[in-house]
Amino acid sequence: MEEQLIGIKNTALSFILEAKTLHELEETKLQFLGRSGTLTLAFKDLVKLPMEKRKEVGMLANEVKTAIEEALEQKQLQFLGNQKKEQAKKIDVTEPGEKPSLGHLHLITQAIEEITTIFEGIGFQRVRYPEIEWDWYAFEALNFPESHPARDDWETFFVDEDTDPKMGPVILTPHTSSGQVREMINVVKSHSAEEKIQIKMLNIAKCYRRQSDVSHTQMFHQFEGLVVGKNIAITHLKGTLDYFVKSYFGEKRKARIRPYHFQFTEPSFEVDVSCGVCLGKGCKLCKAGWLEMGGAGMVHPNVLKAGGIDPKKYTGFAFGWGVERVLMMKDDIEIDDLRLLYSNNLAFLEQF
Amino acid sequence: MDIKIVDGHLREFLKTKATPEKIAETLSLASVSVERIEKFGNDLVYHIEITTNRPDLASVIGIAKETAAVLSQSGINAVYTPPVLPNPKSAIKEKPITINNNPQLVRRINAAVMEVAMRETPQYIKERLEASGIRSLNLIIDITNYVMLTIGHPTHVFDLDRLNTSELNIRESKKGEKITTLDKKEYILPGGDIVADNGKEIVDLLGIMGLENSVVTDTTKRIVFFINNNDPHKIRKTSMTLGIRTEAAQLNEKSLDPELSYTALLYGIHLYETVAEGKLLADIIDIYPSKPTPKTISVTKEKIDSVIGIDIALTKAQSILNSLGFETKIDANSLLAAVPKSRMDDVEKEEDLIEEIARMYGYHNLPSKLPQIMSEKPRHLEKDIFFWEKRVKDALKYWGFTETYTYSMVSEAMYEGPLENAVKLKNPLGDDYMYMRATLVPSLLKVISENKQYKEVKLFELANVYHKKPKGLPEEIPMLAAVIKSSSFSFYHAKGIIEQLAKDLGIKDLSFSPPSKGGVGADVIIGGKEVGAIEVLEEELIDFEINFELLIQHATLHKKYLPLPKYPPVIEDMAFFISEDISTGKIIDLIREQSPLIKDVSLLDRYKDSRTFHILYQDPTKNLATADIASIREKITDSLSKKFNASPKL
Repeated sequence: MEEQLIGIKNTALSFILEAKTLHELEETKLQFLGRSGTLTLAFKDLVKLPMEKRKEVGMLANEVKTAIEEALEQKQLQFLGNQKKEQAKKIDVTEPGEKPSLGHLHLITQAIEEITTIFEGIGFQRVRYPEIEWDWYAFEALNFPESHPARDDWETFFVDEDTDPKMGPVILTPHTSSGQVREMINVVKSHSAEEKIQIKMLNIAKCYRRQSDVSHTQMFHQFEGLVVGKNIAITHLKGTLDYFVKSYFGEKRKARIRPYHFQFTEPSFEVDVSCGVCLGKGCKLCKAGWLEMGGAGMVHPNVLKAGGIDPKKYTGFAFGWGVERVLMMKDDIEIDDLRLLYSNNLAFLEQF
Repeated sequence: MDIKIVDGHLREFLKTKATPEKIAETLSLASVSVERIEKFGNDLVYHIEITTNRPDLASVIGIAKETAAVLSQSGINAVYTPPVLPNPKSAIKEKPITINNNPQLVRRINAAVMEVAMRETPQYIKERLEASGIRSLNLIIDITNYVMLTIGHPTHVFDLDRLNTSELNIRESKKGEKITTLDKKEYILPGGDIVADNGKEIVDLLGIMGLENSVVTDTTKRIVFFINNNDPHKIRKTSMTLGIRTEAAQLNEKSLDPELSYTALLYGIHLYETVAEGKLLADIIDIYPSKPTPKTISVTKEKIDSVIGIDIALTKAQSILNSLGFETKIDANSLLAAVPKSRMDDVEKEEDLIEEIARMYGYHNLPSKLPQIMSEKPRHLEKDIFFWEKRVKDALKYWGFTETYTYSMVSEAMYEGPLENAVKLKNPLGDDYMYMRATLVPSLLKVISENKQYKEVKLFELANVYHKKPKGLPEEIPMLAAVIKSSSFSFYHAKGIIEQLAKDLGIKDLSFSPPSKGGVGADVIIGGKEVGAIEVLEEELIDFEINFELLIQHATLHKKYLPLPKYPPVIEDMAFFISEDISTGKIIDLIREQSPLIKDVSLLDRYKDSRTFHILYQDPTKNLATADIASIREKITDSLSKKFNASPKL
């Protein structure tokens, strides 16, 4: 009996060793461990042995079984490993993936989303006001004199509509600043006498001017910030500006303000950002290390008055910058003609 | 406007050791922007951008005076040395010409009648004119331009003999009057322009350009050196209408200081005398009917500090204003300042004084702080169009659509709808941009046609359209439009996109109906209201356009939890032969009506007159037995056969 068991073990182990496929291994397993397998039958024969021998041979039979099972398992693992290796060989990692569909948001939308996120982070709330606007909101309430060049039809689009005795002609708004007085009027209307007036507005919108060249399109986008409250000062404008410039352009870029002139702010500033190419040293693309970003200033008292706010009690600052402009001032974007943004050339749109 | 000034010319009136780079930097940070410095021969030229409120700086002496102030303020020694000009007296006491002014049109006239000799223009004048972009013509004319460049007031010169009159009349032009400018171009005047005539014809277009009939020539002997300080608005209008944008016009349209007119006269006479052998033939003319009244402004320390944001001593503010030519006095907590004549139009109120103080103090010397106020308006995301815009745009992007930005203005051919409802521009940049669009689709179709090489294109845009209203501002409605050019994109794909968008926005009450305006496609209905349409334009060209405002009125962030089913559903498919005229929607509705246990019905397959439906049964209270379903199945078959004459496909 013992010899028979050893024989089974040896045969089984040599079969297992020689098995070439997983299938052959399965057959071997059945042959020895299956319901009518050689070892299974040998176990059944154990009862025929005398009691005193049964225990000893039983232990041997179990050892044989364990040995065969372990060998089977090891061989099986070896086969599975080979299978994985085969699979791995079949994958060509340099072939393209099966992609889900992915379109493109326009660069202007991408810029607007970035700008919005940055300003929302410091408590600005987005608003939207008419694109087709009364002259009153776009100019008159913003302290533009009747004869200001921006109000003539060389610079601003006029709509073929009747002129209103109070609001003036209907125009396409040339700047997001038209929203300043609309916002003030809204806030003043909705606030009670005891409450302080507090405005922190972000107005991003389409604007229109009669111009078209490498750096101008007749339709473009601006983002306008307006902050009104008690003791709002030039230092706050500087703080907000620095925060935006570092957030949008990166820590390496710096901002500065210089004197300028706008009708609706006093003092008025031109805002510069250090050049992303030379980082302020001066190069072909910039003016002595600086690029102009746009205008800003302290809200003119006449504008506050037009919005129903007492300039003796409140001050404010405002800025209005071009979305396309800041987009093109980003490092590395290198778009040299603004009109490309509106060309809707798919080869262009699909790059972003 | 930009002016160009030669460094050597500037230093005639400015004594300082500051380098040109230092001058440029200091001016840019505290006053006007020096765009760049360029080499010019052995000298340098400053390119300076003059803002419209500072025409007093559009000259060499203007910049010299300002530079002296800003350099001194930043601790660098600098002194302005103005031209010293004695009042000239004429030996001859004739009156060869009388000028009849209209004070409504011209605020001040200065003139001198002189005998001159035509000589070669001195080299330094030629060079400085050329550097500033003015061509040297002849000495007599060059002097007028050099005076403008140095002093900042345009000047003109007539040939007295060619004027052929003893009287010059300043008047408004009549519409249709013809002139020939000194560059021999003919113009028909729009009317209301400021002109001078000699009793017979117009001899000058004041403040803009001289005329051919009175300009000096190489043989000129006697001149009228003529300076006029005009109504700036009339100058702008004439100059823009005729398209004559001379340097003189650009200066005169900005309201120049009438005092400069007199300085320019004296400086010009001085030049004619020194380089053109000039002699006065009569006393100088100075017609100045109403001088501007002097102005004093006061500002409190509290106001200065609250606008600038730091504590500024009144004595510091005072010394700054003094350096800019203001006469000042401190009175308790206030600063009183008398405005210099050259700044009368620009400095009117306390904010203007604060600007002067702040810029000279140095914006770069101010700290940066974030404003601490917060708006107390709550943010209702569900009503927030920006929130939904981002969500919808992102969805379309991930479904493979490319976003476009097309112009709001379209041509007549691209305008959809009756033109009498169109918002029309009075002054478009060409006929292609005449109307504010009422739909987005034509613009997107144009993009498709401009990208012909692409076989498969999916575009979208979210932008306003515009509708004229009987009164007031036009209506602006945000629309979401898409155009799809593809061989594998059907009506049902377009419908599917709208269905999924609605689902993502939490909109439940969405349906589609045959197009009310005809054509192939469907109207999109939300809450019983038409909000847009799908159009199948050609076999491989489909569009949809939806009123975004109406769409998001139904959008919601409210979600409702339904208890999870405890018992598994039973799913089975049923196939019928049914007339092709009967819409699937009606069949599904009828099936659903047959039992509350039917939780979902969808079309699985359709081929000719046979349709297979996928039906899901579920009972929240127990496991469904075959018997429960058998009876419902029977009801379905019966109702379909009764109502639609359908027969089960076995």
